[in-house]
Amino acid sequence: MTDYNKPIPDPDPYTSGPFWEGAKEGKLMLPRCNDCNRVHWYPRILCPFCYSRSISWFEASGEGTLYSFAVQQRAFAPGWKEEGPYVTCFIDLNEGDRMFGVLLDVDVSKPEDIFAKIGSKVSIEFVKASDEVHVPYWKLAS
Amino acid sequence: MTNPSMAAAIVGAAESDEIGFALSEKGTTNTMLHIEAISNVCKQVGISPSEIEGVFSAGFTPQIAEYLHIRPKYIDGTAVGGSSFELHVHHALAAIAAGVIDVALVSHGESGRSARKNQGRGTGGGGGGDPWAPGAAFSGGPYGGWGAPFNYAHAMTRHLHQWGSTKEDFAQIAVSARDWATLNPRAVMHSKETDPNGGPITVQDVLDSRLISWPLNLLDVCLVTDHGGAVLIVSAEKAHSFKTPPVWIAGAGESMGHWDMLEMDDLTLTSAVNSGKTAYQMAGMGPGEMELGMIYDSFTVTVGITVEALGLAPRGGFMELFEGGKSGPGGSGMPINTNGGGLSFSHSGMYGMMLLVEAYRQLSGTAEDGVNGIAGKQTSAQTAIVNGTGGSLSTTGTLVLVADQ
Repeated sequence: MTDYNKPIPDPDPYTSGPFWEGAKEGKLMLPRCNDCNRVHWYPRILCPFCYSRSISWFEASGEGTLYSFAVQQRAFAPGWKEEGPYVTCFIDLNEGDRMFGVLLDVDVSKPEDIFAKIGSKVSIEFVKASDEVHVPYWKLAS
Repeated sequence: MTNPSMAAAIVGAAESDEIGFALSEKGTTNTMLHIEAISNVCKQVGISPSEIEGVFSAGFTPQIAEYLHIRPKYIDGTAVGGSSFELHVHHALAAIAAGVIDVALVSHGESGRSARKNQGRGTGGGGGGDPWAPGAAFSGGPYGGWGAPFNYAHAMTRHLHQWGSTKEDFAQIAVSARDWATLNPRAVMHSKETDPNGGPITVQDVLDSRLISWPLNLLDVCLVTDHGGAVLIVSAEKAHSFKTPPVWIAGAGESMGHWDMLEMDDLTLTSAVNSGKTAYQMAGMGPGEMELGMIYDSFTVTVGITVEALGLAPRGGFMELFEGGKSGPGGSGMPINTNGGGLSFSHSGMYGMMLLVEAYRQLSGTAEDGVNGIAGKQTSAQTAIVNGTGGSLSTTGTLVLVADQ
């Protein structure tokens, strides 16, 4: 048990199992098409670029760049409601395609400063939500 | 392949009896709002609901048809968010051009305001969330995602970054909409009489309003209201058989880029670039010939991005249309959102129907007159571009409408 108080994703056993397994070990696992070699996100049972059904998972760098963000002033979900303003973000992954998440350790009172960081390097950090689920978060690279 | 341009016309457009915030005291339901609007449009046009052959709505079609004893030959329940109604017009045009039907109804009823009071009852929506939907695990779900502002804010941030636009540029869109609302007595934000926060606003008011999701302030965000509306569409042969004048469907197109914003490639470009192209081609017209813009304004950023995608302004240059009040009453540019928009008129959750109603009124010369000595909001426009945007900048429907000559 952890004291994680926010919504915990319910891992889909059909398409995203390797991601959640990797997350428990702090690894970002991504799906890649065996035919066209492109990485896609979110996980699918086929490649959205060439429609091949042949997909493999690999350990990615866990790094990317900040594509865009917003400072969320309000929230209704458990945990987030009590959080106060926080920063959601889209991250362009080094290996291709884009993930959504929350950017940690930034000053929410200075959105202009975060704005200046668009395009900057970020890295992933998994937070343990339960024994089975570790949730991905992002931090600006120091 | 034949071009369906001008094969059908809109011959009437009406709203439910009451719209806006007023209903929240007694409450209403989606069905009630649908039926009131349909009843009103049929009376206006001079047609019986039983003469309707095709019924188009965002997921409510069987309920409407049953309620009104309509035995439709064409049933369409396309529900892709707020743009659904522009898609319905497109579908109705195709069905009429194919000779399947002659009379089509597009209807909307949504108790966005009352749903809060009613705790969701009376909304008739599908079941609860799917925890295994991609968005649930990998989009807003784990991170407190709660609605459209949560998502759309990222698009505005990206526009600010990618194109060097400013929050002031976007605020001007809200000011323009509010200026139009002051000429529309049905607009929620028409005046202090209609709402304590009504009446004209300035760019500074937008910037000073409560932050919702940076960079979106409260006045960058649409209202949440009750609203119903309906339009009737008939074949070219029948277009002059009714009490009301026709407004012709010269072009129609639809497209989508994604459903979840996670799948949107460029957060500053929607599929309106494609639905617009289709509509212009069908009409044989281009952006330079559009005299009125009815552009879905869930947020100021929605308008900015959409007018660029439709070629009404260059990429990154939406502000050209709005600066100095150009798009507002008496402005020197193309009038945009002459009803006051979702920002200041009414927005129930799926706003696309309100675009259709106002476009019909403007092009049929029946836009409401002003009040209290203020000039009316009727413009001289003979052509209009109407663009609905649904989901998270996801689905788009574009129409090119022209007045009867």
